[in-house]
Amino acid sequence: MNKKRAVILSTAIVFSFFAVYLRLTDLMILSHKRLSEKAKLQHIKVEDIHVRRGIIVDRRGRELALNLELESLYCDPENLKLDNEGAKKLASAMSKEPKIVLAKVPAEGRFAWIARKLEDDTAEKIKELHIKGLGFLTEAKRFYPKGELASHILGFVGVENQPLEGVELRYDTYLKTTGGKVFFRRDASGRTLSSGVDIEAKGNNVVLTIDEGLQYLVEKELDKAMVRWRAAAASVIMMDPFTGEILALANRPSYNPNSPGSVSISDRRNRAITDCYEPGSTFKIIIGVASIEEKVAKHDTLFDVSKGSIDAGGKTIRDVHKYGILTFKEVIQKSSNVGSITIGMKLGKERIYKYAKLLGIGEKTGIDLPGEVSGWIRPPEKWSGTSIGAIPIGQEVAATPLQMLRVYSAIANGGFLVRPHVVSEIISPDGQVLSSLRDKEVKQIISSKTAETFKDILKSVVEEGGTGRSASVEGDEVAGKTGTAQIINPKTKRYSKEKYVSSFVGFVPADNPRLAMIVVIYEPKGQIYGGVVAAPVFRDIANQALSYLNIPRGKDAYETPLLVAK
Amino acid sequence: MLRVDRRITKNFDWITLSIVIVIALIGIMTIYSATRPPIEGEHSRFYLRQTLWLIIGIIALFLIVSFDYVWLSRFSLYIYIFGIILLIAVFFLGKAGMGAKRWLSFGPLSFQPSEFFKLAYIIMLAQQLSIINGTITTISLLRLFLLTVLFPFALLIKEPDLGTSLIILAIFVSLILVKGLHKKVVTLLVIISLVSLPFIGTILWEGLKDYQKSRLVAFIEPQIDPTGIGYHITQSKITVGSGKFIGKGYLKGTQGPFRFLPEKHTDFIFAVFAEEWGFIGSIILLLLYLFLILRALDTARKAKDEFGRLLALGITFMFSIYFFVNVGMTLGIMPVVGIPLPFMSYGGTALLSNLFAIGILINIRTRRFYLF
Repeated sequence: MNKKRAVILSTAIVFSFFAVYLRLTDLMILSHKRLSEKAKLQHIKVEDIHVRRGIIVDRRGRELALNLELESLYCDPENLKLDNEGAKKLASAMSKEPKIVLAKVPAEGRFAWIARKLEDDTAEKIKELHIKGLGFLTEAKRFYPKGELASHILGFVGVENQPLEGVELRYDTYLKTTGGKVFFRRDASGRTLSSGVDIEAKGNNVVLTIDEGLQYLVEKELDKAMVRWRAAAASVIMMDPFTGEILALANRPSYNPNSPGSVSISDRRNRAITDCYEPGSTFKIIIGVASIEEKVAKHDTLFDVSKGSIDAGGKTIRDVHKYGILTFKEVIQKSSNVGSITIGMKLGKERIYKYAKLLGIGEKTGIDLPGEVSGWIRPPEKWSGTSIGAIPIGQEVAATPLQMLRVYSAIANGGFLVRPHVVSEIISPDGQVLSSLRDKEVKQIISSKTAETFKDILKSVVEEGGTGRSASVEGDEVAGKTGTAQIINPKTKRYSKEKYVSSFVGFVPADNPRLAMIVVIYEPKGQIYGGVVAAPVFRDIANQALSYLNIPRGKDAYETPLLVAK
Repeated sequence: MLRVDRRITKNFDWITLSIVIVIALIGIMTIYSATRPPIEGEHSRFYLRQTLWLIIGIIALFLIVSFDYVWLSRFSLYIYIFGIILLIAVFFLGKAGMGAKRWLSFGPLSFQPSEFFKLAYIIMLAQQLSIINGTITTISLLRLFLLTVLFPFALLIKEPDLGTSLIILAIFVSLILVKGLHKKVVTLLVIISLVSLPFIGTILWEGLKDYQKSRLVAFIEPQIDPTGIGYHITQSKITVGSGKFIGKGYLKGTQGPFRFLPEKHTDFIFAVFAEEWGFIGSIILLLLYLFLILRALDTARKAKDEFGRLLALGITFMFSIYFFVNVGMTLGIMPVVGIPLPFMSYGGTALLSNLFAIGILINIRTRRFYLF
């Protein structure tokens, strides 16, 4: 072979190699990213999963919100083998129309949900069909084992576990987990080779201050009261007056968080914090506290209310009964409007406003639940001429039941304004306390001496001659105040003659307060007075609660050490 | 005992043999990786069988080197007839696989006659060309075509073994070009091709089986049906592209074991290698092949006679075509023609016959100074 031909041949071969080299550069260096992405898409499937949301327990660790493991059906459209017959069978297993089922299958892609969180027997039926391209993933469905119990505190979540109300919403950042993903490595025929979760996908657990036992008592008695008084609505809040821990909180109407859609939105409202009412006589305590703090009156200062009425800016306000001359204490005990307005006039509107604000009226309490409203009290410059005859007896102000409870808690705890809360601790899945919400600093707003004086006065309300007689608990002294307020008819803008809000707020045992509680009954039928409608509810709950907590009664209380509930 | 000529040991082409053994060992490693089970499971024994064939092949190679290749020239007709008989035997005794009859079975052993036939054919062609003095005339071209190409080409098309049939045609064209055509022949061929050009495309196209047509369509437009006919090309490119610069590492490749890449240990073994060893590894492997081919070309240049020169050239062309078609197909720059990568792809007959061919090359190189 001549040399020329050999050179030509060699050159041709080397050039061909060069072409291969160029193509290799293209595929392996320049197009690497695109091609390896394709490879990944083929055999690694990443799937967001709804990871285990943290559970919610009561203060004694009883589960109030947990997760059920249910199977969800998905399809892999590229590998799906679903003929008409199969679609019919699948639809009948799911008790749905074939059309609706087929509509969930997209034309392309590798993943689409067909049905989420199926019942176990439905999932079994579908599995027996052995349809290629269908698969199951275990998902956690939120479940509230106690049904309606504490629903307004717990709140609820949607299908995707998105938080919608209550603690679920407020503490979602702790309960949920981020980045919960599952990886599936699959071969060409779709067999799963391995799968893994990229992080421990468990949320933190939330410990409530609520006591399930107390909550149960409260709800039971609330239901009874609703029936007995054929009321439109009702709220009860029970709180530790020293710490602000909410021990129980219930409203009527209520709902089951397992099926929140079955009631109207208004029934899901947590009235105890989202609705204002005119507190009526329970507001008189603010006038009282202000007058003692400001030394306008002492507990034995005398007031002449024998006229039975008082003129305030041209408007006459009457007492329910005619009394003669009452001491300051008796004005509160008997809930004299004339006496309260007299004291209010002595104080003047600036000081009334100042103390109302000081005791948290018109301010959010800061409770850790969504939707709280602040209520309102008008600043002095906006008062009308008749306001001085209204505000001291709890009209022309709007407060939430929780705000009123906080005021009475300040009497019970010696003058401190607590911050109400429903969550005590956040606990990690491995049991470590991540944050404790106890022991917040609380501000003293009134002197302990004034608080002490008022404890006595509030005790007398429940004693012989007081309006809250029927709140008294056997063997124990109750301190509290009744309230009866008219509801303003939104149409006429005038006080309704039929619609009232009856309430009782107080604490027990009076000398060693363990529980502060407010009972608010909206629109009771037959009777209207707080002392008649709300006070017995308070009594029934308090009675059982004290037994439940093993709090010794009467004199024993000072002889045996207290068992501390936690 | 075989008496070994001292000149053989002295001039033996150890370089070619070493390159081939290195490539074959890389092949066995890659077969091992490509056929490993994706999860737990039994490892296919392909790599062990390939090792066995390599050992047998090397022994055969030394046997071939020990006889002067001139004997091949003398027995070329018999060898060729034997090859044809084997091809015919396939039709009667052959075992079908993947829509084609290409195999003969002897108990546990399967044997692919077309692999041997290629060598017999090259020997025959080299012998026939070597007796022509000067350039090829029209008469001798026709005689050559009818005698050596037409019949086996028809048989192979019928099997069908498109890969081998195209290769024997390509070798024929290459060798007559190297031998040199008479000017009249060139003119005639140009006229014939110009006249038949409008028909030849249709004739070829109609003659193809459906899967062969699909492959051509898929080569031109793989996106038409990525899960169907374009699947091989797409998957092969993805596999190669996953390698990047240094590769995923040995036994770390996924596309082969996860069965995304078809024919992973046979036709597409280069893709599996590229995924694990990256650009660098691929370049090194390519250079080994380049060196092997250039060395074979050099052997042809140094051959002591015309037969040796044409034989070496034929083998060089064969390896070159195999190599470029296979790698080109793997990289998506050639249509999918099911031919293996020499020395790398799994397949006993192919490895054995390729080692025979290397034996012949070494034989020619070793005896380049002999004068009978």
